[in-house]
Amino acid sequence: MLPRATRLLLGLVLGIALDARPAAAGGPPEGILAIRLTPVKGRAVAALDLAAVFGPSRFQEFGNGLTNVVEIYTSVLPAGGGSPLFIHGRIIEILFDVWEETYAVTVKDPEHPSGRRLVLPSSASLRSFLSDQRDIDLGPLPALPEDFLVEARVEVNPISKDQLQRTREYIAAAAGSRPSGSRSVLGAVASFLLREPDAGSDVHVYRSPPFTRSGVLPR
Amino acid sequence: MLTTVSVLIALALGQAQPTTPEPPAPGAAPAAEGPAANEEAGAAREDASHVPTRRYVIERIDLRGLKRARPEAVRRHLLFEEGEILDPERVLLSRLALLQLGWFSRVESHVERGTERGKVLVVFDVVERNTLLVTDLVIGSTRPQPLYGGLGLSQQNFLGQGLGLSGGAVYGGPAEGRGGDPFRYSLRAGFFAPDLWVPHLRLVAGISGIFLRGEELTCPDVKCDQFSGNFGRAPRTRYQRAGGEILLGVRPGPFERLSASYRYERIHAVRVDLAPGIGPSIHEGWSNLGALTGAYEIDTRDDFFYPTEGFHALGQVTLASRLVGGDYEFSRYLVQADTAYSLFRFPLRFQGAVGAVQGDAPFFDRFYAADYSYFAVGPALGRAMELNFSTDSRYDAFLAMGGLEYGFPLWSRADSPFHRAFLAVGARAVFSSAKLGGARTDFSKLPISADVALRLDTLIGTFNVSVGYLLDNAL
Repeated sequence: MLPRATRLLLGLVLGIALDARPAAAGGPPEGILAIRLTPVKGRAVAALDLAAVFGPSRFQEFGNGLTNVVEIYTSVLPAGGGSPLFIHGRIIEILFDVWEETYAVTVKDPEHPSGRRLVLPSSASLRSFLSDQRDIDLGPLPALPEDFLVEARVEVNPISKDQLQRTREYIAAAAGSRPSGSRSVLGAVASFLLREPDAGSDVHVYRSPPFTRSGVLPR
Repeated sequence: MLTTVSVLIALALGQAQPTTPEPPAPGAAPAAEGPAANEEAGAAREDASHVPTRRYVIERIDLRGLKRARPEAVRRHLLFEEGEILDPERVLLSRLALLQLGWFSRVESHVERGTERGKVLVVFDVVERNTLLVTDLVIGSTRPQPLYGGLGLSQQNFLGQGLGLSGGAVYGGPAEGRGGDPFRYSLRAGFFAPDLWVPHLRLVAGISGIFLRGEELTCPDVKCDQFSGNFGRAPRTRYQRAGGEILLGVRPGPFERLSASYRYERIHAVRVDLAPGIGPSIHEGWSNLGALTGAYEIDTRDDFFYPTEGFHALGQVTLASRLVGGDYEFSRYLVQADTAYSLFRFPLRFQGAVGAVQGDAPFFDRFYAADYSYFAVGPALGRAMELNFSTDSRYDAFLAMGGLEYGFPLWSRADSPFHRAFLAVGARAVFSSAKLGGARTDFSKLPISADVALRLDTLIGTFNVSVGYLLDNAL
């Protein structure tokens, strides 16, 4: 027979466990992806409407005077399921200038690997720019499967593995350690901090209705 | 196709130049839908040569929301100073460093205009969190001690200066059947400075103390069945320890710590109804323990609570001698390691420990197998702040432990008092022996233990609710 105190503790913990809900992750699509596919010189070129991701509340964050990063990964998936057949990546860096009150934007993608730079004069123009992503090359038309769909994954201020490693090293070297038993042990907390929703992870996934290859081909 | 995917991602990250013919510029054909149209909506300027390169000077660093933490203690952890050129990455790293301190539940950073053009303020908005954490919570029951319990607390930001202060106590009262005996309890306290700033060195220093009064039952059979109706008549060793330890350490690398410590204890032991030569190793009457310990620790885990990669290892060598003020001559060696790999997306952790003690070590400096098991079949039970409430007083000179633990995340919510939780399923094998090459005895016939545990990271500390612990109390 378990002691009463132990049974009480067990009951409390079971209560907590039953209240638990799975952590939200960037897994299933949040909604339908608004997309326009156009044939350009034998390739499928997409334009995405991402207005749902970049609502007005987002722009206080983008106006913090520090570098903000948006990554957009667009992939072609077989309609019947399976691994992506083609992925296009675009990285957008946004830096608000507190004196000029403009947004300096750098866009890197396969067409501009060293970056294309823009200066946007207002948050409205930044929102318009981010919401309307164009010229996304999804590969040669003949390489597309007959039935496919397009998925867009948008990450706001993601943390790269490289950045994670540098952060861990910095934190470990600068902040030191604590007595054993405390929550901080050398550098072993950085990833937790970086994964916290308020510290970075902000992922949105949208998926298009099915397309047919012949539907993209010029008539 | 896989190659194409890799090349495109590499290009997007700016890490490689194309090795295949450049695809035709997709935006070139439908000019009306190309980038120009996109930019027209916002009247953007596109020309790298016209994009200004900002080089603002940090006029002031504002820390907003501080209540208990001292500003100078917070500033020590920032990676930049007033008067420097603004570097957004250093601001981000500084923000993470402040979060890592454990003093704040929220840290936000932004830049504001300074008093004149070209100057800016860097602002950190913080929300202080509870820095008083529960480090130990003990509730247990054994046949000779129907109920005992204890609590450990740690203040991680003492006086707002980032100093660590911790304390704990376990209370078990007098032994059952011997109401007139001294109470059994354990008290400990510690003070830790995690960041002593000496030029070119980052030092850590600490001091701790312990006072403990306990008993070790030493019956002819380990379950003490002969005295089960009246444990008060069972032979025992009653002892008292009072002492302290001073530690000084340095960090040779970002994930390493090298430390040396000196421990001194004043010990008193009395044998009650015990024949000479029987019972746990300790000098009768008053004795002194003086010991030097050198330790090396490396920790590359990615998370202290739920590591998915990296490893943690600790090596310790302790030398006790009359040369350092003690009556005990012994050496103690311990290596512990814990490493995590991802298997089917969840972390699989390997745990191991090996240890040896040579010479005349007191029993509490030897290895108690149940401390390394999830549970022990039989009377042995993991000790509570070094107090043994079981009837098993076997302490060994050699130890080997190996184990596996698999973790399944349950939730992660920064805004909840129960920040994170995972379910741990594990198994361990423990071998210990009083002498090299010695066989296992009746004390721990079954070397394998397993556990299912709920691990919680909460507002007031981390907690482990373990089926193994409940079994240990019940078996």
